[in-house]
Amino acid sequence: MALTAWFQHFFKKNGIVLSIYLMSAVLLWMVIMIILPQVFMLDFSFRFNLPPGKIGGEEDVYTISNYRFLLFGSPGNPDPYNVIDTTVFFRTILAAIFVTVFDLLLCYPIAYALAIVAKGGTARLMVLSLIVPFWINEILRAFAFRILFGSSGVINTVGMTLGLWDTPFDFIKADIALYAGLGYAYILLMIFPIYNAMESLDRNQLEAARDLGAQWWRIHWRIVIPFSKPGIASGCTMVFMLSAGALAAPQILGGPSSLWFTQIIYQWFNTGGNWPRGSAYAIVLLAVCILFVLFMMRVFKVRIGEIGR
Amino acid sequence: MKSAQFLRVVLGAYIVLFFAYLFGPLILMSITAFNSSEFPRVTPWDCFSTDWFNVLVEDKRIMTGLRNSIIIGFGVVCLSVPIGLAAAMMLTQVGRRMKSFFYTVVVSPILVPGVVLGISTLIFWDRLGTMFDASYNSVFYNGIFLSILGQSTFVSAYCMLVFTARLQRFDPVQEEAALDLGATNAQAFVKILLPFLKPAIGSAAVMAFLASFENYNTTIFTIVSESTLTTVLASKVRFGINPSISALAVIIVVLTLICAIIHEAMKRQEARRAQAAKDERVVADYASVGRFATSPWGIVLLVFLAGLGTIWLATRYDTASCKMRLQDERQLRLEQSTPSTPAVTPGAATPGTTTPSTTTPTTTPSGSEPAAKPYQGIFAPQNLDQVAPKDEGEAAPAGEGKSDGESKPYQGIFAPQNLDNVAPKSD
Repeated sequence: MALTAWFQHFFKKNGIVLSIYLMSAVLLWMVIMIILPQVFMLDFSFRFNLPPGKIGGEEDVYTISNYRFLLFGSPGNPDPYNVIDTTVFFRTILAAIFVTVFDLLLCYPIAYALAIVAKGGTARLMVLSLIVPFWINEILRAFAFRILFGSSGVINTVGMTLGLWDTPFDFIKADIALYAGLGYAYILLMIFPIYNAMESLDRNQLEAARDLGAQWWRIHWRIVIPFSKPGIASGCTMVFMLSAGALAAPQILGGPSSLWFTQIIYQWFNTGGNWPRGSAYAIVLLAVCILFVLFMMRVFKVRIGEIGR
Repeated sequence: MKSAQFLRVVLGAYIVLFFAYLFGPLILMSITAFNSSEFPRVTPWDCFSTDWFNVLVEDKRIMTGLRNSIIIGFGVVCLSVPIGLAAAMMLTQVGRRMKSFFYTVVVSPILVPGVVLGISTLIFWDRLGTMFDASYNSVFYNGIFLSILGQSTFVSAYCMLVFTARLQRFDPVQEEAALDLGATNAQAFVKILLPFLKPAIGSAAVMAFLASFENYNTTIFTIVSESTLTTVLASKVRFGINPSISALAVIIVVLTLICAIIHEAMKRQEARRAQAAKDERVVADYASVGRFATSPWGIVLLVFLAGLGTIWLATRYDTASCKMRLQDERQLRLEQSTPSTPAVTPGAATPGTTTPSTTTPTTTPSGSEPAAKPYQGIFAPQNLDQVAPKDEGEAAPAGEGKSDGESKPYQGIFAPQNLDNVAPKSD
């Protein structure tokens, strides 16, 4: 009942033409582009990998074999569980957490400088120079790190000339290049939410704390950080989700022995030719990431509503 | 007081370091585009060269990818800007309960990994295609169409956020007045709301295009058998790299800088105008040259002139003769080092004697360096230096290198820099 009343009101307010535009655009987006594809992917992940001719036939039934494969591997697997895939999965999650913490530590001072310390022209120049590097293609950014960290790269040359180490250090094999590149890729997503939250901080609070003799770290710990917590939470959420789901940087900067979970998904779709299994893996990645974020929000007592600010 | 000053200095130093991290890699990458070396590197510097730009322009795959990227970019703009606008307007009209559900659904594509978006789009249309028994040439399997849809899924959310921010400052009284005066809803929308949103439409469109242009994670799945600039670049970077990619980076960096400068200059001009209008007096007509130089078009002109200057310098600089000189030097060193350094002889001297003409020894080995990554360290000059004074047992790997000099892992042995560094030792 309420719904029809709402529709009547909606059509009356916007007129026929505008209503149709609004409705169809939003429905197209929500239903055809967001919800249905996700539902189809979920459905597909519970199916066998069949040739096109057999899809919809008798053999096209639901199964959990794809999820079972992620946990236990193929039936002939001697190990109690699928060692390779599960290891890669947990390493990806751990690495994403590491990248998130790294980015938080890296970006917090900058966000603070931008929101509290810098003024007018300086702040605007800083914002512009923060944004500019991110207009450059993701692949090219990763490529830049590869040049930087390669065994004949600049860091090795400089380090060896200064005598810090004498054989070229393989940064790519040690995953240092990967972490540096991933951290770099999501700097903006960390800085701006924190900056937005921090900017509305009342400077008088800082003055008062200073007058009362608080040390600088205490001011941060008791005032600035609690106040900007929603920003920190949404920054961390975005960086974590996106670095766990990153594909370009691990493909280009990852060492020969370290796979990212998205690369396994990509393999199932590309060379592996098993789409249902790839979708099952993608669903697991998505679900675990979301659950982890919700769990961390519970731990740090941040509500979801605060994040959208 | 002193500690406050000290903290400021520390923060300032940190900011400098931070921006070095931000720009350092990009600057270094740009420099490698002008090094004639086959492998993108800054040191050792071979010759100044602009050849890589020619290599880039002649690369058919990159050009096809670029064309597709531009088509997809425009498609995404045309789809996601209207969707974002509609969603932002819808958000102002739905009830509280509905609003939070709606918001969660439409913002989720920003948080969902791009890989998942790409996969779900691909599967959805693939299954629809199977349902309708469509042929593989149909729209359901068309990479460009799928990429436009897949990318628009999250780009629309960006657009929506831009429009929501702008709509918050909209005064609905204007629209009500227009409706009271007899305008239809459509008229009020076109004449009042759209002009108000014009700046937001502009920035949403630019952002949508950029986001689409640089996207990889979603596109790699939805593009199917086609290619975009990003996917071509990725496959190039993964399977052997050469500085023509750096050359592309230089072009993109320069374009980005020009856009940023224009943007900043236009903002300043706007602010100045607003200030002038506020003061209601004519701003003193200060030196018109300086004014032109800080206006957007002046800056573009300056950048353009600087570019022309660079090109002119580049044409005057003779890269070929430099390369020749470099090659001669190398051969000279090679000949000098051949008789006197026993530790180097087994591996390194062989190519010098078998191919005395040394037509391309400077290029071939280093070009295949990426493939040789894992083992490259083995034959780095420092290793040889360390090995040389020790006994024969330690030097064994060098002997192995001779026996199967064809195999990839040991190709680094022929890298010219090795010779360069070893040569002085022999004297």
